[in-house]
Amino acid sequence: MNGSNMEEVMAETAREDILGRLRAAPPKTVPPRPHLPPMKEAELAGEAMVAYLMERLAAEAYTPFRVKDRREALDKLAQIVKEEGLTCVMASTDDVVAPLDLPAWGREHGVEVMQPGQFADRQEYKSAIFDRAQASVTGASFVVAETGSLGLVHGTDNPRLLTLAPILHIVLIPADHVVPALDAAVGRVFGQKGKYPSQFSFATGPSLTGDITGYLFRGMHGPRRVMAIVIG
Amino acid sequence: MKIRTEQFNQLAAVEIEKARVRPFLKMVPEFLYRKRAAGLPSLPDPDAAQAYAAAVRAEVVNRLPDLLEEFERNATANGAKVFWARDAKEANDFIVKVAKERGVKTVIKGKSMITEELGLNDVLTANGITPWETDLGEFIAQQMNLPPFHIIAPAMNIPVEEIRDCFMEKAGMETPTVDPVELGYAARVFLRDKFQGAEMGIAGVNIAVAETGTVINVENEGNIRFSKSAPKTLVSVMSLEKVIPTMQDAINMIRVLARNCTGQRISAYVSMESGPKRADEVDGPEELFIVILDNGRSKIYQDTEVREIMQCIRCAACLNICPVYRQIGGYAYGGAYSGPMGQALMPLLFGLDRTKDLYRACSLCGACASVCPAGIDHPKLFLNFRDKDVKQDPRFNSQQRPAKERMFFRLFSLGMSHPGLWKLGARLFRPIFNLNAHDGVVSRMPGPLAGWFRKRDMPAMPVKPFHQRWEELKDKKS
Repeated sequence: MNGSNMEEVMAETAREDILGRLRAAPPKTVPPRPHLPPMKEAELAGEAMVAYLMERLAAEAYTPFRVKDRREALDKLAQIVKEEGLTCVMASTDDVVAPLDLPAWGREHGVEVMQPGQFADRQEYKSAIFDRAQASVTGASFVVAETGSLGLVHGTDNPRLLTLAPILHIVLIPADHVVPALDAAVGRVFGQKGKYPSQFSFATGPSLTGDITGYLFRGMHGPRRVMAIVIG
Repeated sequence: MKIRTEQFNQLAAVEIEKARVRPFLKMVPEFLYRKRAAGLPSLPDPDAAQAYAAAVRAEVVNRLPDLLEEFERNATANGAKVFWARDAKEANDFIVKVAKERGVKTVIKGKSMITEELGLNDVLTANGITPWETDLGEFIAQQMNLPPFHIIAPAMNIPVEEIRDCFMEKAGMETPTVDPVELGYAARVFLRDKFQGAEMGIAGVNIAVAETGTVINVENEGNIRFSKSAPKTLVSVMSLEKVIPTMQDAINMIRVLARNCTGQRISAYVSMESGPKRADEVDGPEELFIVILDNGRSKIYQDTEVREIMQCIRCAACLNICPVYRQIGGYAYGGAYSGPMGQALMPLLFGLDRTKDLYRACSLCGACASVCPAGIDHPKLFLNFRDKDVKQDPRFNSQQRPAKERMFFRLFSLGMSHPGLWKLGARLFRPIFNLNAHDGVVSRMPGPLAGWFRKRDMPAMPVKPFHQRWEELKDKKS
């Protein structure tokens, strides 16, 4: 028996040992689950839902904006780029941002717009997102009114570090991407057995810490500011 | 970390005198407690939600083997590699082996109590691998070589001046400051290189979903997301009770966990891995290892009376409300876990003999149980441990109580069950007790009762007790 076989056998034994002990334990009956009242936000719809989201975005320390359409969203983006003095950003290629053709838009507005797909490997991409991108511009698969959370299905179009590494994150939220409650993730992301994204995350506002003497402040390892442009 | 649960009383005596820690202990647990109280009402019926969470955790703990097998099956189908570890050594050996085989020199870690329990950092360091704690509090604790003071705010007790000095020396901070925001920024800048360069990430697990094979982390800083996204290899370590049946259960649990922890509706980040990155993704781990750790838990599982401690979701609500924790802080407990959840868990992990003072350092006020979203009755567990200890239950290494104590309680029990003996004993005891009275107060006492009087006093006993006077008065009247 070679070394690696030996290890496999040992691991298998540990598994059997642990499960065996758990199975041998005396059973205990527990009462059935009590009734769980649904979240009141679950009933939100239409304009009331978007208005509720705007409130949550403010409460979670986003910098929220609301615009009429995609054209106005681009104007707002141009204004942010100018005010923040951005010269290099990275944009997602998800269904919200891709149709805007931000690289072309960037050339008009004097800002380099990188996209995750343009990098040959992890190393190159990492140095761009850690060292060069002053901000990221992304959409979200859906946005939760209940908590003001961005539902981010990570993948080639919206990789994980894109919404995490740059100190400023600008997110575009079409009103039809707003859902009432967190439960939306159950069906939308995990609804098809075995076809789950390698990573899914809820991101809610800028990163936060209270680890030094309990003093709470925004902007720890993740973005320090998240600007949310709600469209429609 | 070195387990020092045996020294609880000595450590507590030292901690309680630390003047610099007192303002933080007064402030932070109370602050978190109030945040919780303010956050819970955003649920439609907070009591019902707490009861529901408790019922789910109780159900999980009683269905563990089935749920673990389901989780393993689905996690494996997602492409994760699941490794079972009977104890800390097996888990640590495995993680070191994974790191060495991949030539890993630097590891970034998300805050996890489970790797504290494993003592993983020491093992990695001994094997030439540098672990970087990346949670701000855990980073401070690691740099200052301190254990966690609180399970969710591990360095809340460190004054800003000490953090400044530490960061100047060890974290490349150039301009001295005591501003928490500036200190946080210095740590951000310092750790960014580590996030970018480390070859391996290690994280704990808050929730493992059986139905989907997904592991979930809940955090505010973003360091766990970095640890799970930037390196090529990821090891997620979970104790075996973290599993939960469905994704819907996980969503409900996240709502309750965040509110009990910090009063938030949801933490800033909740990230969920279902397997390693797909081939066309530019970031994320190429390999995802999930370590399922037993380390004494399957033994706890055998005892249906104490099994409920495995329902714990590590929210720290019990620490924040505990009148004992609020006085002594987290170091005195002598292990990774502190407060009531630590007092209830560590005796079962390390043995009742090594934790005698831990489960006795409780007035049984029940504040912890009243806030627990997982349905744990901590005082009931403490009474169970004390009972096992006295009866020398061998399952968790309980030893006999000292001979004097046993003798005392034997006599006490004899007296309590024989009124004549009790009266006689009391009559003999009163004058001896009163020998120590000064101006009608006993404030010191030699012998075995000395400890009780160290910080208390008691009025001297009357020569004739009330019952006797009452009898005499009645006689006189008639």
